[in-house]
Amino acid sequence: MSKSDYEIIIGLEVHVQLNTKTKIFCGDQNSFGELANRHTSSISLAHPGTLPRVNREAINKGIALALALGSEINQENRFDRKHYFYPDLPKAYQITQDRLPICVGGSIDIPSGDTTRTIRFHHTHMEEDAGKSIHDLDPKNSMIDLNRAGTPLLEIVTEPDMRSAQEVHDFIATLQQLVRYIGISDANMEEGSMRCDCNVSVRLKGDTQLNNRCEVKNINSKKFAMQAVAYEAQRQIKLMEQGEHIDQQTLHFDSETGRTSSTRDKEDAHDYRYFPDPDLPPVYITDEEIAQIKEQMPILPQAQKQLYIEQDIKAEHAELLIQERATVTFTNELLQAHQDSSAAVNFMINKVLPTTKEDYHDDLTTFPLTVAQCAAFLKLIDAGKIIHSTAYQQLYPALLADPTADPAALCESMGLSQSNDTDLIDDLIQAVIQENPDEVKKYQKGKKGLIGFFVGKVMKESKGKADPKLIQQKLTEALQS
Amino acid sequence: MKGQNLNNIQAAIRQGELSVTQVVNHYLAQIEDSLPLNIYIEVFAEEAKKQAQALDEKLAAGESVGKLYGSVISIKDVICYEGHQVTAASKILEGFTSQFTATALQRLLDEDAIVIGRTNCDEFAMGSANENSVYGVTPNGVNSERVAGGSSGAAAVSVQQDTCLVALGTDTGGSVRQPAGFNGVIGMKPTYGRVSRYGVIAYGSSFDQIGVLGQHMEDVGEFLLTMAGEDPMDCTSSSQPVKTESSSQGQVSFAYIDEVMNHEKLHGAIATSSHALMDRLESEGHAVSKVQFPLLKYLVPAYYVLTTAEASSNLGRYDGIRYGYRSEAADSIKNVYQKTRSEGFGSEVKRRIMLGTFVLSSGYYDAYYTKAQKVRRLVTEAIHEIFENHDFLILPTTPNVAWKIGAHQDDPVEVYLSDIYTVIANLTGIPAISLPLATDADGNPFGIQLMSKKFSEAELIAVSEMLIST
Repeated sequence: MSKSDYEIIIGLEVHVQLNTKTKIFCGDQNSFGELANRHTSSISLAHPGTLPRVNREAINKGIALALALGSEINQENRFDRKHYFYPDLPKAYQITQDRLPICVGGSIDIPSGDTTRTIRFHHTHMEEDAGKSIHDLDPKNSMIDLNRAGTPLLEIVTEPDMRSAQEVHDFIATLQQLVRYIGISDANMEEGSMRCDCNVSVRLKGDTQLNNRCEVKNINSKKFAMQAVAYEAQRQIKLMEQGEHIDQQTLHFDSETGRTSSTRDKEDAHDYRYFPDPDLPPVYITDEEIAQIKEQMPILPQAQKQLYIEQDIKAEHAELLIQERATVTFTNELLQAHQDSSAAVNFMINKVLPTTKEDYHDDLTTFPLTVAQCAAFLKLIDAGKIIHSTAYQQLYPALLADPTADPAALCESMGLSQSNDTDLIDDLIQAVIQENPDEVKKYQKGKKGLIGFFVGKVMKESKGKADPKLIQQKLTEALQS
Repeated sequence: MKGQNLNNIQAAIRQGELSVTQVVNHYLAQIEDSLPLNIYIEVFAEEAKKQAQALDEKLAAGESVGKLYGSVISIKDVICYEGHQVTAASKILEGFTSQFTATALQRLLDEDAIVIGRTNCDEFAMGSANENSVYGVTPNGVNSERVAGGSSGAAAVSVQQDTCLVALGTDTGGSVRQPAGFNGVIGMKPTYGRVSRYGVIAYGSSFDQIGVLGQHMEDVGEFLLTMAGEDPMDCTSSSQPVKTESSSQGQVSFAYIDEVMNHEKLHGAIATSSHALMDRLESEGHAVSKVQFPLLKYLVPAYYVLTTAEASSNLGRYDGIRYGYRSEAADSIKNVYQKTRSEGFGSEVKRRIMLGTFVLSSGYYDAYYTKAQKVRRLVTEAIHEIFENHDFLILPTTPNVAWKIGAHQDDPVEVYLSDIYTVIANLTGIPAISLPLATDADGNPFGIQLMSKKFSEAELIAVSEMLIST
């Protein structure tokens, strides 16, 4: 049988760290990248006598996710304890939701060729993250950093709806975009604020039964997820071809070799002894709270894209504009401030986004120009105060270099204002004609394409201040005579 | 000043007949005299004296002081006090110093109560005799051949020996009331959620409450209500306002449980005295009626399944990684856990961790944990029903008097069964108090319990005062 006779079935468990101010069960700051063990109060350290208390902000972010995924919200939330011993788990149990997760069901659409595919969610539950064990700092000892212990997590569990490594990639990308959009996480896989476990199984096409699956744990990039899924599917197909049994097991992905291997930690043999956490009474979510969060929800990416298309923005431009919420916000404000939407979109796509990408770490919030400045800039062009190309090529970089400047004043002081002094243009045209007799002859013999050459020359002589349309018109007349 | 209540002590201080320093010195002398009873793990003598002196200076200067000025308390060694060691009488917390103060204790400190020391107890509050402590046994204050009761045994003795005005204990299944009964003092456990558990070393989280032991009802009531009230650090603390005035006056109604009074294990003297008290109440015009409670035999099993389950989880944190004892012999991560916990915990604690781990194990969970939760719900409903028609439940604190030290060493189940009358209140979350009732022919004290509906501490205190004063 050939590879194409098999179907790969993938379900994901995605862990998303929430960007709350404080940890999920205590007041310690929730932050990344600081000195080890700085945000470790007695509660994070599980000192005797300490108790957890629920951070409502984490609950609210869970509600926001449910709204974005179209999940049902459990209005009675309970927390359970999951027990295991590990040095980075201070209480020897993790507080999680075993029985009543905050979100049930829901789905998102991911791109698939020219159309989309729907990936359904099983549920999403809240839990606390463990600390970090660091094994490579000291030759003899392991180090423990408990800053992360108690960071709020949402574990998003999909149905086994993905069918290829590419879909896994696209699903993660779509989910990543969505959680960033609704502002609940920076979903940075490199920093671990988003990571996933991939459950992979294979079967012959047409089969309806699911075979044993293997779980590849703790993957921290989209690329690795694709590699891990592809490798694992191959491995299982090979086993099936050889008529061998596929053991349900937990695997580790080695990003250096691109292979999966057994973790050998008998994960499946663990008895976590879940039971309801007696320290945490049920947390109730009211209809009013849900309504309030709904009101604060941004328009989601796909809906925003549709809105842009309705505003006569090209689909491919709309796609670029909805990648990040900051872009949407900026774009929408600019569209408000500047009536000519095609000029505004053009400016976003050709100037603002490339500049941000190249010079501002792809973070629009650090882009130096305000929406008002951008609007003023576009208005100069629109009103014929400056030639479009001059504005883009000269005024824009000057503005970036002096972000507090008023675009109109800067245009003036740089001497870039459009000049429609026809006498001056006529003089420049005459000078260019005289300086280029050969080209004039060629033009007059029919090489009409040379008009661009003459316009360019005149433009240059005018220092970019003259309107190219006017120049072309006058040039055409002058060259005919 | 021996045996005076706080009102009298404060009156004497106001009249200049007594200073806070003298109060503290009196108790320190009492501690000195009772050293053989092994009541205190640590006495905060110098600190207490300093605090007393500061209070005396404030009083002399006419500055305002907290309402508990002149009071001296002991705290059970499971209650956190910032900058002080707290060990739960366990080797595993050897040398551990708390970084914060329990909310309930802080409320007393804010009212100028002085802590004189931390009292011995059963390790992690697991025990009914104060025999399971790494610091050794604390014997009964009345008869030192017998057990003090537990787990707040030394707390009861600290009051009985007049080494403090009141003692803070914890009550998970009777740990305040039973030793109070065995030592002839008062012990009160509030409604679950009435007093914050923040800063109390957890044993059974859905059962634990701080309780107060004392010689005088008005002191016990005052301290309990001062500690009471919602605490944002404890989600299980109730937001219900603390009621300090009793709403019931005059004649009240009592229910007694037929199965309890006819219990085969009930000591004859205890049965006789309990009946006598009920007769007296009836003769004073109160209603006393018999109720049936067929669930009695399920109480102790359900209690031990649920508390050991919670304990097995709560005690996981004592792993030798971040604080406390770590086995010197540990040379691998597995060993750090196994050796530290094997060496650090005493046998009763290990027994309960194993029991609790077992009942939560997959395959056994439903048969034990789920079933015990069902029993708990049924018991709670049955008790609720009793309180629909009766103000108070009256029953002995224990079926027996304090046993001889070491008598039940090889029979833990026999000891567990002696908790039968006290666990009702913990399983159902209702408030309960043990009042000294009488002594048996050998002079061993025993108590009578009163229980009432949730959050009716004020009524329970008022009826207890009525009972004691006559």
